[in-house]
Amino acid sequence: MCRSAYNMVLHKYGEKLYNGLESTMTWRLKEISKSIEAAQGGLFLEELNAKWMDHNKALQMIRDILMYMDRTYVPTSHRTPVHELGLNLWRDHIIHYPMIHGRLLDTLLDLIHRERMGEVINRGLMRSITKMLMDLGPAVYQDDFEKPFLEVSASFYSGESQEFIECCDCGNYLKKAERRLNEEMERVSHYLDAGSEAKITSVVEKEMIANHMHRLVHMENSGLVNMLIDDKYEDLGRMYTLFRRVPDGLSTIRDMMTSYLRETGKHLVTDPERLKDPVEFVQCLLNEKDKHDKIINVAFGNDKTFQNALNSSFEFFINLNNRSPEFISLYVDDKLRKGLKGATEEDVEGILDKVMMLFRYLQEKDVFEKYYKQHLAKRLLSGKTVSDDAERSMIVKLKTECGYQFTSKLEGMFTDMKTSQDTMQDFYAKKSEELGDGPTLDVHILTTGSWPTQPSPPCSLPPEILAVCEKFRGYYLGTHSGRRLTWQTNMGTADIKATFGKSQKHELNVSTYQMCVLMLFNTSDGLSYKDIEQATEIPSTDLKRCLQSLACVKGKNVLRKEPMSKDISEDDTFYFNDKFTSKLVKVKIGTVVAAKESEPEKQETRQRVEEDRKPQIEAAIVRIMKSRRVLDHNSIVSEVTKQLQARFLPNPVIIKKRIESLIEREFLERDKADRKLYRYLA
Amino acid sequence: VSTNLTSRKAQRVPTKAVSKEIERIDQLFYTYADGSSSMIDPEGIETLCSHLEVPHTDVRILMLAWKMGCEKQGYFTLDEWRTGMKALRADSISKLKKAFPELVQEVTRSSNFQDFYPYAFRYCLTEDKKKCIEIPVACELLNLVLSLQFRPQVEKLINYLKHQNEYKVINMDQWMGFLRFCNEINFPSLDNYDADQAWPLILDNFVEWLRASEN
Repeated sequence: MCRSAYNMVLHKYGEKLYNGLESTMTWRLKEISKSIEAAQGGLFLEELNAKWMDHNKALQMIRDILMYMDRTYVPTSHRTPVHELGLNLWRDHIIHYPMIHGRLLDTLLDLIHRERMGEVINRGLMRSITKMLMDLGPAVYQDDFEKPFLEVSASFYSGESQEFIECCDCGNYLKKAERRLNEEMERVSHYLDAGSEAKITSVVEKEMIANHMHRLVHMENSGLVNMLIDDKYEDLGRMYTLFRRVPDGLSTIRDMMTSYLRETGKHLVTDPERLKDPVEFVQCLLNEKDKHDKIINVAFGNDKTFQNALNSSFEFFINLNNRSPEFISLYVDDKLRKGLKGATEEDVEGILDKVMMLFRYLQEKDVFEKYYKQHLAKRLLSGKTVSDDAERSMIVKLKTECGYQFTSKLEGMFTDMKTSQDTMQDFYAKKSEELGDGPTLDVHILTTGSWPTQPSPPCSLPPEILAVCEKFRGYYLGTHSGRRLTWQTNMGTADIKATFGKSQKHELNVSTYQMCVLMLFNTSDGLSYKDIEQATEIPSTDLKRCLQSLACVKGKNVLRKEPMSKDISEDDTFYFNDKFTSKLVKVKIGTVVAAKESEPEKQETRQRVEEDRKPQIEAAIVRIMKSRRVLDHNSIVSEVTKQLQARFLPNPVIIKKRIESLIEREFLERDKADRKLYRYLA
Repeated sequence: VSTNLTSRKAQRVPTKAVSKEIERIDQLFYTYADGSSSMIDPEGIETLCSHLEVPHTDVRILMLAWKMGCEKQGYFTLDEWRTGMKALRADSISKLKKAFPELVQEVTRSSNFQDFYPYAFRYCLTEDKKKCIEIPVACELLNLVLSLQFRPQVEKLINYLKHQNEYKVINMDQWMGFLRFCNEINFPSLDNYDADQAWPLILDNFVEWLRASEN
């Protein structure tokens, strides 16, 4: 047959051959279409497929036979190549045949629908049909199948999502959505063209997720907030993966999470019940941080944007309570004083690192510094620290975070402790003969400036104590001329041996003030308040507190008070309590423990902080103006804020005040031409 | 007689008329001056004022002091007297009195007023208070110096200064701020006041107070 065809073309009968082919094929296809049309129900598709298979085989053969024509006549006469012709004719006379066209589409869509509803369908057949459409040309696949498929899918999923959302909770809805999504992807891989995957998943994403995002996230009792509270890692992970697929999906989750965290955090830091115990309070904050860190890690794939949202939320609410710096310092104090007892080095580092995380959120780091100094001082002086290494480690972390200046004074405190030890050793080595059997002194020499400023109120020390103190003073000033020593009687402690009743011996650990009071009873059995006040010269508020701790506390009442009222009045009389008993040989009465400040103390500290800030702000202003020479007001404010933000957030009003003060002291002036500008005066 | 007193020739050889004028000016000075100090002291000024029929707290006396370039409040030196009287072309009480309306006009011309206004502040400084004046003094001075041109602002401002207790004194920077405020800010709407600009803090507080008292 090839030879005949070859000959025909050779002898210029190409056109006749081609036309003949075309008309024959057309006529044949018209017949085939009738037979397909006649097929009933499920057989329609099979018949179409079968006929398609035949047609393809035929086309192969025809192409082979008419190869010469395809190569010579067809290009020169610009006619469609044979194979393509065969496909086009199939398209025109079968697929686009009115009786078949609509029915084909409906059949396909119906099968897909049934599969979606749970039926099993003939996937192989489907595959074959869709492949046929693709072979006929991507435009055919798209126009005659894909487009309507997508539309119908959209309305299907729109309806289904509406149904689900009315009756499902969030977690279950998301499970269903995920399932549908997976189904569609599987469908494509089995019997649709690969190019349809992105399009159909996009439809599902839009209908099932994007359109219901807000409702899902906000769903009462099962939405995002509930998932967070109940640590529903799986549900959260699913939500993350699904929402990631749609525009603004993740930001919807993130925004909701942020506002939830801020709300919860705000309640936490303003709840008076919580604030009663600072250590508990900080532990709560740490727990919240841990909880949400885990969620972001496990369910949100450590997404950095979520981490940032968490950080910004914490930063927001921690600073709503201006006692946060104090409380965090108290937490560290508690840990370093007893909480970390027996902990491994790893544990210590872990806890301190977590605390540093909270520290970073603080806006008023200078307030933290002040409290840390106070608490550290108490720990060092009372010897109540769990581990020197832990203390040092904390300092190093603070230094890494804030720089050398932040910790130089703290380090100075440690140095003083060590130096004092050496000094005491030397003192006793040299002076032990002179001192003989007197009371043993242990002096901590504190460099003013490194330690928190303390008032040094008057106090009359007992003569035997005074004597040894003066010996020490002489010794010290002998080796350190030009220095001045002031006894901080409000910060000291003493261990006293006391005998009660029938030779009951106890060792009392008391504060210096308490010691002064007790020693008076070596020479008198009973003393009035006024006597004691006169003899000791201790200020009245401190004296009252001191007497209260000696006479009114059960188990520690080494003194007896008349009358036996709860409070100390200036008309009271005190007696040595011969009847005092305790199971312990060593009785601790004095306390130098760090505690939450009382309201007036807090005000005082706050005032001192504000005072300290003034020179820092002024220094920043001068630095900036020195380099910029001329600057407008708003720029100064923002530059100053930037320079100081590692320590605290300066109040723009205070900045303005400092500028005016600098103008008055002629460091700056207002520009004569433009009053919005300031000038640096050299 | 119009003589160019600034030309050297004229100074070296004053005309007869000019020397007569100087004589009369000096004589007038000595009628009020205190013998021992050879300055016109507060008492003398009071007498002068009664002759001029002007209360001694009147702003015109302050303007006269400005014209004279007086350095110490309440005292006129001979040089200062001469300077002022010559500038006003007055050598008698009646001529001085007639010169006042023109003096007032001259001072309130904005270029002169920019000079007069801080002068008024400096005039109130004392040995003890070299940089600030106390609030009550500031209030009186504001009234004296600004209320003609800016009565509503001055009234409110004085009210505020008396009520607030953050500031006990006013410095020059704040004083200048008051004038700027009156000149630049729409009153009573305050709609063009921007607290983020470089206004002295006391004015930020003043505006806040005004706005609060409206509600």
